[in-house]
Order: sequence, then C-alpha cells, then structure tokens
Amino acid sequence: MAEAAGEVPRVAGGPAGWISILIPAAIFVWLVQLVPAISLGEVILWAYDWVPSLDIRLSVILDGLSLTFALLISGIGALVTLYSAKYLGNHPEYPRFVLYLMAFMFGMLGLVLADNLIALFVFWEVTTISSYLLIGFNSDEAKSRRSALQALLVTGTGGLALLAGIIMLGNVAGSFELSVILSQGDMIRAHPLYVPIVILFLAGAFTKSAQFPFHFWLPNAMAAPTPVSAYLHSATMVKAGVFLMARMNPAIGGTDLWFWTLTIAGGFTAVFASILAMRQTDIKQVLAYTTLMALGTLTLFIGAGTSDAIKAMMLFLVVHSLYKAALFLMIGIVDHATGTREAEVLRGLGRKMPVTAVAAVVAAVSMAGIPPLVGFIGKEFLYKAGLELDQGMFWVTGAAFAASALMFAVAGIVALRPFFGKLAETPKPAHEGPVMMLTGPLVLAGLSLYFGLFPDTIEAWLVAPGTWAVYGDPTVSVDLYLFREVNAAFILSLVTFATGAVIYAIHRPLRNWLGRIFEANPIKFDPGWDRVLDGLKALAAWQTRHLQSGVLQRYLFTVFATLGVAVGLTIWARDALAFDLDLSSELDGLLFKHWAVLIFVAAGAILTALTSSRMTAIVCLGVVGIGVALIFIMFSAPDVAITQLLVETLVVVLVAVAMLKLPHLDLPGRRDKRPWHGVLSIGVGVVSSAVLIAVMQGDIDRRLTDYFEITSWPEAYGRNIVNVILVDFRALDTFGEIAVVVVAALAAYALLRGTHYKKPVAAKEDEA
Amino acid sequence: MELLISVMVGVMIATGTYLMLARNVLRFIFGLILISNAANLMIFVAGRLTPESPPLIPDGADVPPDIVANALPQALVLTAIVIGFGLFAFALTLVYRGYQSMGTLMSDEMRLAEPEEDRQ
Amino acid sequence: MIATDLSILTPEIVLAIYAMIGLLAAVYTSKDGLASTLTYVTAVLFVVMAFYIGVTGGGTRIAFGGMFVDDGFARFAKITILLAAAAILVISHDYMEKSDLLRFEYPMLITLATIGMMIMVSAGDLMALYMGLELQSLSLYVIASLRRDSVRSTEAGLKYFILGALSSGLLLYGASLVYGYSGTTLFSGIIDTAVNGELSIGLLLGLVFLIAGLAFKVSAAPFHMWTPDVYEGSPTPVTAFFATAPKVAAMALFARVVHDAFGGAVGDWQQIVAFLAVFSMFLGAIAAIGQTDIKRLMAYSSISHMGFALMGLSAGTEQGVTAMLIYMAIYVTMNIGTFAFIMSMEKDGRHVTEITALSNFSSKEPLKALAVLVLMFSLAGVPPMVGFFGKFAVLMAAVDAGLIWLAVAGVIASVIGAFYYLRIVYLMYFGAEEDGLDGRMGLVPWVGLVACAAIMVLGVFNLFGVDGLAEAAAATLVR
Repeated sequence: MAEAAGEVPRVAGGPAGWISILIPAAIFVWLVQLVPAISLGEVILWAYDWVPSLDIRLSVILDGLSLTFALLISGIGALVTLYSAKYLGNHPEYPRFVLYLMAFMFGMLGLVLADNLIALFVFWEVTTISSYLLIGFNSDEAKSRRSALQALLVTGTGGLALLAGIIMLGNVAGSFELSVILSQGDMIRAHPLYVPIVILFLAGAFTKSAQFPFHFWLPNAMAAPTPVSAYLHSATMVKAGVFLMARMNPAIGGTDLWFWTLTIAGGFTAVFASILAMRQTDIKQVLAYTTLMALGTLTLFIGAGTSDAIKAMMLFLVVHSLYKAALFLMIGIVDHATGTREAEVLRGLGRKMPVTAVAAVVAAVSMAGIPPLVGFIGKEFLYKAGLELDQGMFWVTGAAFAASALMFAVAGIVALRPFFGKLAETPKPAHEGPVMMLTGPLVLAGLSLYFGLFPDTIEAWLVAPGTWAVYGDPTVSVDLYLFREVNAAFILSLVTFATGAVIYAIHRPLRNWLGRIFEANPIKFDPGWDRVLDGLKALAAWQTRHLQSGVLQRYLFTVFATLGVAVGLTIWARDALAFDLDLSSELDGLLFKHWAVLIFVAAGAILTALTSSRMTAIVCLGVVGIGVALIFIMFSAPDVAITQLLVETLVVVLVAVAMLKLPHLDLPGRRDKRPWHGVLSIGVGVVSSAVLIAVMQGDIDRRLTDYFEITSWPEAYGRNIVNVILVDFRALDTFGEIAVVVVAALAAYALLRGTHYKKPVAAKEDEA
Repeated sequence: MELLISVMVGVMIATGTYLMLARNVLRFIFGLILISNAANLMIFVAGRLTPESPPLIPDGADVPPDIVANALPQALVLTAIVIGFGLFAFALTLVYRGYQSMGTLMSDEMRLAEPEEDRQ
Repeated sequence: MIATDLSILTPEIVLAIYAMIGLLAAVYTSKDGLASTLTYVTAVLFVVMAFYIGVTGGGTRIAFGGMFVDDGFARFAKITILLAAAAILVISHDYMEKSDLLRFEYPMLITLATIGMMIMVSAGDLMALYMGLELQSLSLYVIASLRRDSVRSTEAGLKYFILGALSSGLLLYGASLVYGYSGTTLFSGIIDTAVNGELSIGLLLGLVFLIAGLAFKVSAAPFHMWTPDVYEGSPTPVTAFFATAPKVAAMALFARVVHDAFGGAVGDWQQIVAFLAVFSMFLGAIAAIGQTDIKRLMAYSSISHMGFALMGLSAGTEQGVTAMLIYMAIYVTMNIGTFAFIMSMEKDGRHVTEITALSNFSSKEPLKALAVLVLMFSLAGVPPMVGFFGKFAVLMAAVDAGLIWLAVAGVIASVIGAFYYLRIVYLMYFGAEEDGLDGRMGLVPWVGLVACAAIMVLGVFNLFGVDGLAEAAAATLVR
C-alpha cells in the first residue's frame, strides 16, 4: 500500500507509470477506430504460423464479441493504470507491479482476440500467472499469500481441464481455429466426445469465472490491491470464463446439457452470491460478491441461449463492467482517504468527498437498475429475455429477479449509507481523493449515464455485433431503448425496486440473521479447499511410505512382483504355453554324464540359496559355474567353456578374498527364512522354465548363423566361426566388452583409492 | 536334454531370485552370479543344442560340415560372460566399500537416504 | 568395409581414444592435477563432437552389418546428449572443486558414460544395445558413489548398482528370449518376424522384459525406486548429470527398440508403455508433494516427466516420437537450468538442499528468483513457457493416436504436478522472512541458470526450430 515504509516519490508513477497508462490508451484508441467496420458486421481475421509442427497459430479474430472485450480491457485498463499510478506510484515495488499488470493485460487481450484455441489457452494461463503475482503483490500479508496460491491452483486446474477439452475439440473438428470450429456446431454436437468436451470447457470457464461450486476463491482474492480487484476481479479476468462460454456458444451451445448446466449453475451463483453479499460489512467484500452475482447472471443468460437472452447478456456485460469498476475504484479512494472500508463505520462522507460521492451514486444507481442509467436497460432486457423463454422461464426470470432485487439493496449499502447522513468518525480524517484517482470512476459513471440516455450508440457499437458473434447469426436485429411501453418486464422492474427497498430497510437485522445461519451451516467451501490440499499431502505421504520405503528388499520384491504380473497377464491374454511335452524322446539318449551335470548344478543352486555358511555358498557357486561350463563343453562350445571356467575361478577367488573382510551371512541365531520370497521365487523360476521350453518348441531362424558360416573363411579368413564373429563381424560388441571391463576396473579403482580407513585395502581387489 | 536344461535353468533362476531378495547384499551378489549364469545358459540353449560338433571350419574347406553347433549364441554368451564378470567384480568392490563405510551388509539397515518425515 | 564402418563411428572412436589418453595422462601426471583442465577439455570436445555430428550427418548410414545405425534420430539424440553433458560438466566445475570431488575420474567417467549413451542411441542390435547400456550404467554406478567420504553416496551407489544390475539382467533375459524366437539379434531382423502385426508369445515376453529393463533406465514407475535415493545421495552435479543426458539416451533407446525392432506390432507394446506412462506421471507427481529436499523433489519430478515422454512414445506414431524428442530436449534444458541453481544453493557457505531454504529468496535476489520462477512454471508446463509446448506435443500425439484417456490422465497428473513446482515459487516469493540462502553464484552456473530460463521464455516464439529437427529425426526412425 501507498502508506508502506520505504516509499519512493514518483510523479504519476515515474516512467513505468506513464508507459503503463499510454499503452492501454493507445490500444483503446486503435480499437475504437475499428468500431465502425465491426458494427457493420465485418469480421477481421489475421494469422501468423507460430509453431507449425504443433498446429499452433497466432491468429486473431476481431468480431463484435472480441472487440467489446478488447475495448473494455484496454479502456478500463487505461483508467486503472492511471488510478494506480497515484494509488501505488510511490510503492518501492511499483515498477514490478506495472510489469505484472502489463503482462496481465497482454494476456487478456491475447485471450479475447485469439482465433487459435491453443493460443487462447496460452494467453488464458498468462492471465492466471500474472494475476497470481498481482494478488500476491502485498506479499507481507499472510492472507494475501494464501489467497494468491488458492486462486492460482483453482484457476490453474480449471485451465488444464480446458486444455484437455481444447485438445479433444481440435481432434473432433480437425482444427484449432475458432473460425473453422464455430461453423461446425452441428457436427460437434452430434459427436460422441461432445459431453466430455462440454464438461471440460465448462470446468475451465466456471473456475475462471468463479461459478458455483468454484466460487470460493474470488472473494479471497480480494486481498489484492484495490486497482487489481477493480481490473481483474470485476472487469476482465473473471469475465474470461464468460467470454469463453460466449465464444464457444455457436459451436457447443444450444443443447439441453448446455442449457441446464449453465442456467442452474449461473442462477444459483447469482442468487447465492447476492445473499452472501448481504452478509458482508467490508464494502470491498460486498462488491466482490456482487461481482459473483453478475458473473452468475451472465452465465445464466448464455445458457438460456435465445437471441434475446444473448442480447441481454452482451448488454449486461458492458453495463456491469462500467458500474462495477467505478465502484471498486471508488472504494479504493474511500479506503485511501479514511483508512477503512467498513460499511458500519462509513457515514456521511458526501460533504467531505463530493466528487467521489457523485461517481459512487451514479454507478450505484446503474447497479440498482434505476432509470435513466444504462443499468435499467440492462435489467429490462434481462427480464424481457427471461420472460420470453420457452424452457425454464420461471427459473431464469426468478433468478434474475432475486439477484436484481438484492442488487438494489446492495447498491444502497454501498452508496447510500457511506455518503449520506451524519459524518462519522473514521481512522483518518476524510478528504477528497486526488484527480488521477477520480478520473476513472467519473468517466465510467459518466458512460453509464450516457449509454442510458443514448442506448442507440451502445447498441450499434457493441451489443449488436457482439450478439451476432455469440449467437452465430449476423442477421439478428438488436433494438435497445430506455422506455417504450408498460409491459411485463417493466412491471417486474417496479416490483424489483419495491422488494429491493424493503431488503435495504431491513439489511442490518438481515445481516445478523444470515450470519447466524451461515455459522450453523456445516458445508463450507473454503475449509473444504484446505481439506483437499491436506488430503493430497496425506496421499503423498502414504504413497511414499509404501512405495519408497528405502528398503532395498521391498524394491526388489516390487520389481519381481510387477514382472510376475506382467508376464502372467501376457500369457493369460494370449492363452499361451499350450505346448506338448515329449518326455520319452527327451529321455532317450540321455547319458549318465548329462544327469550328473544337471543334478549337480540344480543342487548347487539350491544349496547356495539355503545355506547360512559362506564357505558352502562359495563352493556351491563354484559347482554351478563348473557345471555350466561342462554343459558348454558337451554341446560344442569349447571356447565358451574355457572362458566360463576361467571367469568362474576368478569369481570364486575374489569372493573368497573378500570374505576375509566381510562378516558372516547371518547374525547368530537368525537364519535367512522368507517363505513369501520363496513362493515368489519359485513362481519366477517356473515361469522362466516354461517360457524357455516354449521357445524350444518353435523353429529357429538360422539365417544369420548360416551367413556367418558361409562367409567366415572366404571373407574373414577364420576357421573358428565363434572367433570370427567376435573379432570381425561383431567387433563392436567386443570393443564394448573391453570398454566395460576397463570401466569396471576404473570403477573399482575409483572406489577403493583414497579410502581413509585404517584397514589397508586388500590388494586383490584391484585385480578387478 | 533341452527340456531338462530348461528346468534346471528355472531352478537356477528361482534360487537366484530368492537370493537377490535377501537382506544381505552378499547374498544378492550370489543371486546375481546364479542368474547371470542362468541367462547365459538360456541364450545358449535358445540357439539349440548340438553335441560334439564345434563350429569350426576344417582345413581345406570353405564352409563347415553340415551339422555344426550354432556359433552365434556362443559368441553372444562369450560377450555376456565377460561383461557379467566386469559387473560382478564391481559389485563386489561396492559391497566391500559399503561394508567399510556403513558397517553392515544388511540392506534394510542402509536407510540413511530415506528422510525422516516419510516414516511418520 | 571396416574402414567405412569405422568412419561412421568417428565421434565415438574419437571420444574413446580421448578417454584412454586422458586416463593415461592423468595417471602419469600424478592424477588430479589435470582434473580441472580435463573437465573443460572434455566439455569442449563434447561440443565439438556435437557440432561435427550436426554438420556431417546426412541420411541413414549403417555400420557393422546393421549393429550400428547412424540416422537422423540418433544424431538428434546424440547432439542433445553431448550438449547436455558438456553443459553439466562446465556448470559443475566450481561445485566439484569446492567439495574436493574434482578428480580426474569425473570427466573421464562422464566421457565413458557418454560413449555408452551414443552407442545406445545408435544401437541396431540387441547386443550393441546391451553393451552400450552396460558401458553407460557402469560409469554411472561409479559416478553415483564418487563421494567416497560420504556414507550416503556409497549407499546411493550400492542401491543404484543392485537395482541397475537387476535391470540389466532383465534386459539380457528379454534379449535372449527375443533371440530365441526370432533367431536374430538385429533389430532389422526382428522386425521382419513381427510384420503381421502380432508378435508370437515368446517375442512378446521378450519385449516385456526388454521394456522392464529400459523402464529402469528411464526411471519409469514401478521401476523407479532407485531414483530418489540416488538423486539425493549423489553429489549435486552428478544428480544433474543423471537427470539429463542418460535420460535422453535411455528414452531414445526405448524409442529405437519399440520402433526399430517392434515397429510392426505397435498394438502389442502400446498398452505396456501407456501403463508405464500413467503410473510414472501420477506416482512422480503425487510423491513430489511431500518432499522437503529439492533433489528428491527433482527426482520425483523427473519420474513424472518421463511419464509424459513415454506418453508421446506410446502413441506409436511418428508424431509421438517427434513429441517425445521435443519433450526431452525441453526437459533437459529445464533441468540444466534448475540444477545450475541447486548447485549454487548455499547457506553460510555450506551446500543445502532443503526447499525451505528458498524462503523469501526473491527479495534478496530478484533476478535469480525470476529465473527459477520461469523454470518452475516451465517444468509445471504452464504456458507461455516452453515447457508447455512439450506437454502439449505429447498430449496431442496421444489424442491423435486415439489414446484420449491417456491424455486426460496426463492433464490430471500435471494439475497435481503443478502443485509442488508452484510451492517453490510460492516460498521464494511469499515465504516467511528468515535467514535464507547466501545467494552467491559462480559466473558459469549463473549463465546456465539465466540462459535456460531465457530459453524457456524466448523459445515461445518458435521453439528455436527444435520441433522441425525433431520431426525430421522422428521421420528416420518411424517408417
């Protein structure tokens, strides 16, 4: 905050401030000159190949919808940066703030202008990250840190869901270009993946736009500096979800699934949020909840989906951005001037802060939906669209009515009490805000009045082209007016005012009553969020405990068991191992020496496993090795046998030498008995035998051997085919083999040299 | 004979596995030796057994006689034996080192790498 | 024949000769005096070799009767491996010197390991594969236990060896099965026996074992157990090396085996690889949440990342291999940057790896904190950082191959994964004020950190063309 220690005096934020004001202003002016073309129904497309191999293009689609959003983003952006140059301009970290804010604005503009869904997603996440940094800007407050992380995780999760949806949609439509996808609505709606696509897109949109049940992060995120709240959490970022639903409406909207999900979630959010708003005493929190209400209403009417509903939605979108940003900026000024935002404390500021009061009252009147402000038109068209629905008329109109009535009362809380009546004591003596901070609220309030008096302008510039884009039909006619006749919508408005006035009158007892109800309510979303995180941590701990125990034995067991399952499944899936054994021919011609070798090797192996004496184990290993060598000799592999004998001897000698330095195999009285390992091992052994037997059933492909046999002498001049293969045909193997031995020697050397122990290193080890 | 050797290989692999699962890393090495022997035998047997006719080309001939043992697996096994030996020698050194610095051969007592909070 | 064969192996041979000369020279000149020079010379040689491979390569060349294949795919992997190894060597020099670990074995073992990796990615034969793998693994076992005075390092080396030896055994067993059924160890021969789209049971089992062995090397779950212990126990530069070059090599080898040898039976291995991918993504992401040590966290993070790379591979298409290569190239860059930072984490002059030490780092070192932030977001796959494009590529490959469930699982896993990367960012920016890191950093690691972070941001414009190269490389592998 500006009051923080270590202020750096800057004029309007210094260079960082000027740049941050000029950039959005320039973008705004540039966009304004495009308005005439777009209002005639033109759609501007522009593209650049970004990552062609991944089908990511940086392409722009400029139609009524994206233009409306871009104008709001840059226009309100310019006012907010102007405001923050004063509000935070002297903060030591102000340039950092500007950097984050510009990154955010860049992301937001990219998001609404993108024609490529992947690019859209990239910008979507840019806004997530930069808003994380903005929310956490006051990092010295524990609350703001937690909020920042929460907002990031909720919207980030939704963003990834969106990515999954985008990938599926791209797969279905064959392109990531919105301009291509939007024209394929019928095909997409009929596709089997339609339902998951809708769910994933809505997961992204609902989290970003804080729709129930993901609404909890937005009020928490109000820990951000006030200009950030005004910009991100009312006018722009939270509307990204609404934008997405509006944008995708022609492609994936218009089904029952879409209708009911959006209207129920939107309606519920709108009413629920309005009630929660009544509970708050911090005016900024009140505004946060009314923002939720507005987002709910927008969702509700996108879901309703008729051309009138879309019209009403587009109008309300602009209306809300104008008054809500003005009110947020206003409360920032009040906070700045008085040091508090408590509705119970603030009274009668109008005399001390007349300009702020004018802006606040005009914006609040628009919020309340009172003529001649544009807010009235917005509400009228919501009612009109709601009443004309074939499906869900009562639900949509009812939700809109309830929300509007509550909104009327909230407008009173926000603008009536703080500025009228007797001046109350505030932590700091109240004074009028500086010009730079007043500009924003005044301009926005002025626009609310102007559009109310001249609805044709907003109709032609923004609402009509926007409706064409969202409804997917550029022939819909849009005709906005302040008042024409007394109809059902008008009467409903009058009822709204009456109801709202009653609620305002009783809002203080109502607040206490609501407070008690919510105290008693067992379902809380914010603690629920903490529980989810705790659960995740507990899962992590559990998994680590079981899979990463640090005990080598268990690791090995896991490996063998996994393999056992894998092999078992493979065999089962293939229904294999159905071979017949021909025992008689097998036993024919088997000599005594064969039997002897087989039995010696098997017995040696078993004894090695079971003995607890080191010497027995070594001797048995030797027996096995020699037995294997004998098999090599019997079946015509003398070279292999000689190597085997040599290596086996070395192995036994090395082990024997090492034994001198190593302890016994088992602690006294603790034999090595592990029945489960035994079962697993026998299983592994049986499977190995079976597989090997199965291998022997088939014919062997001797082509390669034949090739070696034929070419051994003529090409390599060698009579020992094995040798020829080793040193000639497969020299690479041999090269590698030697390298491996060299490395092993080097390794052993590296391990043993320079040991700082008293015991001298056994010389024999170096032979390795 | 192939059938019986296959069974024998199975026994070697079973005992090798059992040894590799032991707490004592020296047993693990014994298991390793057994299994590498078994694997060598497997390659050898998979190339089919041919008694008493080594893959040699007699003097004066360009090609070996009609029935001669499959030379390719023999070459493979030779390579495998040597590599196996290298591995074994290194393993033994490592175990020796491990014993010197940790004072135990029991793998479950070598648990320094596991941070405390994982075991709550 | 031999002469042409050898010319194809020039880079490997040059490195092998260099390793021998280096060893001799080091031994001759009283050992460790040369270590510092050797480190830099090795790094330069790696870069030169990478450059040589980049400019001389063209087409597909085969040596030793098909055992050694030099194609675009191998070259892409080799260049990535060499550059990663060189970067790690240079960045780690200061750390190694300071920790009194800079012995001549270090650069030499890394050279030998690198040769092994180069043979691995070029293997056209099961035995060449095994040999390259062993050469690499043995060197890595020793590097893991390099810190001789540390019990942890010894323990790490021992565990790594035992599990590694087991995986080599599995691989060999699988190779013998494959040989037994196909009668050949050449990939080009094996693929002929599986042309009808379905493997015989023996070949399939062989493949299962081969994949299990390979899964160890890429530390894919459930064969990942060595990774956290070894990452934590090894000296940080060694961990950094483990996390980069060998992962690329193993992943490339994985791709080569499944495509070159079993490319005709995609349906048979697709499910296995997809299973490994899902399991790794989730296990890594979930386990990382509870970690307090940044090296252990990076271990789990790499497990999760390997899951994503495997997702690309499981698509079984050229697009999938492209995605996997892009992913690995990006992954390696992110890890080099991150480890350059981890190596510089010091508190009161001592190396630390506790995550809490990062608390409030941004107020002390805004630029470095920003660089780490970029890397963390990139690791989490949050756009607009380059890491996102890697994730996107593999997700797309999976979806286009009809594995929509896998892509959705991947998205869920990255949601969970985002949590722990963001926790680091959170700590750096919003952590409580306490005595944090010293913040000093050598020039070279600093350059490494900032350069990698800059790549993660600037690469957004065109990924530095890596996608095109990966596409070309994948085209030579998948036919």
